[in-house]
Amino acid sequence: MSRYIRRRLVTAIPVFFGITLLVFLLMDLAPGSAAALAGEGAAGAQDQALVEQRLGLDQPFPVRYLSWLADLFRGDLGESVYFGAPVSRLIAQRLGPTLLLVGTGVLLAVVVAVPLGVLAAWRPRSRWDSLSNLFTVAGSAVPGFFLSLAAIYLFAVKLQWLPASGMYDGGGQGSLPDLLRHLALPAAVVGLTNVGGILKQVRTACLEVMGEDYIMTARAKGLGEGAVVIRHCLRTALIPVLTAVLTHIPHLLGGSVVVERIFGWPGMGSLLFSAINGRDHTVVMGVTVVMALAVLATGILLDLVYGLVDARVGYGRV
Amino acid sequence: MRRSALAAALALTFTLLAGCGGGGQSAGSADPAEPVVVRYGISNAWDQLMPYNSVSGSNYARIVYDKIYDRLAYVHADGTLSPRAAESWESADGGYAVLFHLDPEAAFHDGAPVTAEHWVETIRLMTDPACPMLGRATFSVLTGTDENGAALPGEEPGAEAVDAHTLKLTFKDPTAPEDFLLDKNRELYVLPTHLLEGVDPAEVLDLDLWDAPIGSGPCVFVEQLPGSRLTLAANEDYQLGAPGFDQLTITVMDKANLLPAMISGDLDYYAFGGSVSAEDRAAAEQNGLEVEEGTVPNTFFELMLNGERIPDARIRRAIELALDKELLCQQATGGQGSVTYSSISPASPYAGWAAEGEGRDLEEATALLEEAGYDGRTYVLACTSNRSGLAALIQQNLAEAGISLSIQTVDSATMFSGMADGVYDMGIASHTPGALPLWFVESRFAENNNIFHVQDLEPYAALIDAIQSASSQEEKGPLVGELEALLAQERPFIPLWFGRGLHVQSPTVENIDYASSSFSNENVWEWVKH
Repeated sequence: MSRYIRRRLVTAIPVFFGITLLVFLLMDLAPGSAAALAGEGAAGAQDQALVEQRLGLDQPFPVRYLSWLADLFRGDLGESVYFGAPVSRLIAQRLGPTLLLVGTGVLLAVVVAVPLGVLAAWRPRSRWDSLSNLFTVAGSAVPGFFLSLAAIYLFAVKLQWLPASGMYDGGGQGSLPDLLRHLALPAAVVGLTNVGGILKQVRTACLEVMGEDYIMTARAKGLGEGAVVIRHCLRTALIPVLTAVLTHIPHLLGGSVVVERIFGWPGMGSLLFSAINGRDHTVVMGVTVVMALAVLATGILLDLVYGLVDARVGYGRV
Repeated sequence: MRRSALAAALALTFTLLAGCGGGGQSAGSADPAEPVVVRYGISNAWDQLMPYNSVSGSNYARIVYDKIYDRLAYVHADGTLSPRAAESWESADGGYAVLFHLDPEAAFHDGAPVTAEHWVETIRLMTDPACPMLGRATFSVLTGTDENGAALPGEEPGAEAVDAHTLKLTFKDPTAPEDFLLDKNRELYVLPTHLLEGVDPAEVLDLDLWDAPIGSGPCVFVEQLPGSRLTLAANEDYQLGAPGFDQLTITVMDKANLLPAMISGDLDYYAFGGSVSAEDRAAAEQNGLEVEEGTVPNTFFELMLNGERIPDARIRRAIELALDKELLCQQATGGQGSVTYSSISPASPYAGWAAEGEGRDLEEATALLEEAGYDGRTYVLACTSNRSGLAALIQQNLAEAGISLSIQTVDSATMFSGMADGVYDMGIASHTPGALPLWFVESRFAENNNIFHVQDLEPYAALIDAIQSASSQEEKGPLVGELEALLAQERPFIPLWFGRGLHVQSPTVENIDYASSSFSNENVWEWVKH
C-alpha cells in the first residue's frame, strides 16, 4: 500500500509541473496584459513599462517560468500586481469562505442525491424515479448563473426572505444566523448544480447492483427490503458514488466562479475572476497551484478510499 | 404521516432561516446599540489602497480613494466646483500659478493637521524619479517636471507651501484654477507625509502603511478583503462634517445582482450614482424604487479605428457616414443619450467649438469608398460581449454601404491590447467624459500612446500644445475648433454619442449627489442613513 502511494506521488510530480507550465503558457498567450490595461488602457509608455517590469513581462518566457518555479520552491507564490498583497495571503483569506460555500453546497447535493438515487433505482419508473430524472436533467441543463439570478429574484426580491448578496449584513463580521441566511441561497444553487451528476451516478450504480444474483439471494432468504437496499446494494454502489462526491474536492478549493461572483461571496472563485480579468498572472498561478494539488490529492485519496470501502480492491501487488 | 412530518420540518427550517437576523434591511439601523452601516455595492474591484500605485488607474479605484483620501475640491456634475481640502483658490503669477487656501480644520485620521507642506511633500515624493509610482503624468503640468511628470535633475517641482495653509502650484503653461481642478482633481490626493519621513522614495510604495492606509478623507480605513470587501468608518472630524452613518461597507458583486440587491434591501447604494441601463429602469420602478434621470452626460461612446489598417481618411469618413448613430444611440441608451461628432462634452464650456455632422449619408459614404478604391476587404471589429448587439447593428449599417465587417467578442483587456498592437481594425469603447476640450484627445495622440495608429501625430501634437499654452477660454476656443476640424477631416476615431445616467435613488440614504459621481467623487460626508 505505501509502495503504491509512493509511486502515485512520484507520478504526480510531473503532472503537477505539467499543469503549471500549461497554465503559465496559456496566460502568456492570452492577449492583453496588466500593462496594457493600466490606466484603463490609456496609460503612457512609461507606466506600461513600469507595470511590465513589476510583472517581469520584460523577461523571456522561460526565465519568467523558472523564476516563478524557484519562488514556489521557497514557498513564495509571489505578489499580486493588482492588489499589492502576497498571493498566499489572498488565497488564505478566500479559502475559508469557499470551503464553507461549496462544502455546504456539495453536502446538500449528497443529502438529496443519495437517498433519491437509491429510491429511484429501487423503484424504477416510479414517482421517485421521475423526480430523480427531473433533478438530473435540471441540474445538468440549467446553468448556474440562471439558477442564481432566479433564486435571487424569487427569495430576495419577491419574497424578501433571504439576502441577495454578501457573507454578512454589515460587512466583514456578523453572527452565525446572519452567516447562515447569507449562505442559504448560494449554497442551494451550488447544491442544485451538483445534485444531477451525483444522483445519476448513484442511480446507475444501484440499478446495476439491484440486478445482481446476491441481491436476489438476499431477498429469497427473506431479508427485509431496507436491509437489502442499505446493507447490500448501497455499500456495493458506494465506489461510483464516492468517485462522484470526491471529484468535487477540487471545486471546493477552486470555488464556484459564477455563483461567488453573482452573490458577492468573497471566495476563491471571485478572486480568480478578478485575476483573470486584470491579467494578474501571479494570482492566477497561485490559484492554479492550489487547484492542481487538490486534483492530484483527490486522485490519491480516491484510490485509498476504494481500498477501504471495497475489499476486492487491493494494492498489494500493484 | 411521514410526508407531512417532512413537510413540516422543511417549513420550520425555512422559517427559522428566513427569520434569523430580520429582513433584508440592516438590523443595525433598527437597534441604536448597533452601528449604522451604509451597504455600498460596486461591480469591479479597486486595486491597491495607495492612490499613486493603482495599476488599473480605474474609476473603481478612484471612487474608493475618494473616501479615504482628501482632494482639493469637489467636482459637481455640471462642472462647477465646491471646496473640499481647499476652502478657496485663486490665480496668481499672471495665470502661471494657482494659490489654494487649505481648510485649517483638515486633519489626517491619526489626528495630525493637514498642512500645505503635506501637499508639497506628496508632490515632491511622487515626482521623484526614484519613486516607481504609476500615473506620474498627472504632475507633468507643473514646472520642474519632464513630459512624464518626473522632477528634472536639480529642479524642484512647481509646488510650494506659501504658509501653513496656502499651497502654490506653478504651471508650465497658463492654467485657470478651474481647468486644473476639472482635469486633475481626481488624481491628486494628499498623503500623510509626516509618516514617511526618512523613507527611501524607491521604497515608499512598499510600506505596510498602505495595507491600512491613513488619509484625511471623509472615511477611515477599518479592514479589507482585497478585491472583495472594504469596511470604512465615518470620519467624525472631517472638515466638511461627519457622515450620517457609522460604517460604509463596500462589496464587490456582479453587475447583474446590483439592482436586485438594492430592491431586496440588501444594498443601500451602488457606485457611480446607482446607474442603471434603460432596460433596468422599468424593473427598478416596478419594485418601488425611484429613478432619477441624469442631466449631464456621464458616458462617451466611440468607435476606435486603426489608422494603419484603414490608412485612407476617406474610408474612415465613409464608415462614419454609413453609421446610423441615432439608431445606435437609441438602442444603447434607451433615449438617454445624444449623438455626437466630437469628444467634447455638450456640458463643456467648449461645446460651441465641437465638430458637427449631418447624420447618415449612404450615398456620400459609397462615393467616398469608390473614390478611395475600397477593395471590399473585411474589417475586424472587436467588442466586449455586452456590446455584441451594438456591434451587430454597426455590421448591418456598414453592410448597407458595402463595407464588410466581422465581429470578434473579446474581453476588454484583449480589445485594448489588440487595438494597441494593431490586431483589430475597430473597437467599441466607452469612457467617462471630462469637461475640458482635451480630456479624450490629449492622452491618445501621443508618441507613447498612439492607440489609433495615426501615421502623422505632428499636426495633432502642435494643436494640443497650442491649446494647452493658451491662457484663456477665448484664446483656446478657436484652437479647439481647429483641432475639431482636423479630427473631422481625418477621423482617427468615430465619436458616437454621449449618454446620460439613470440613477436609482437609495430608499435608505439621503442627500446623495447622484450625478456628480461620474467625476469619481461622492459627497459621503453629506449622506445620512435612516
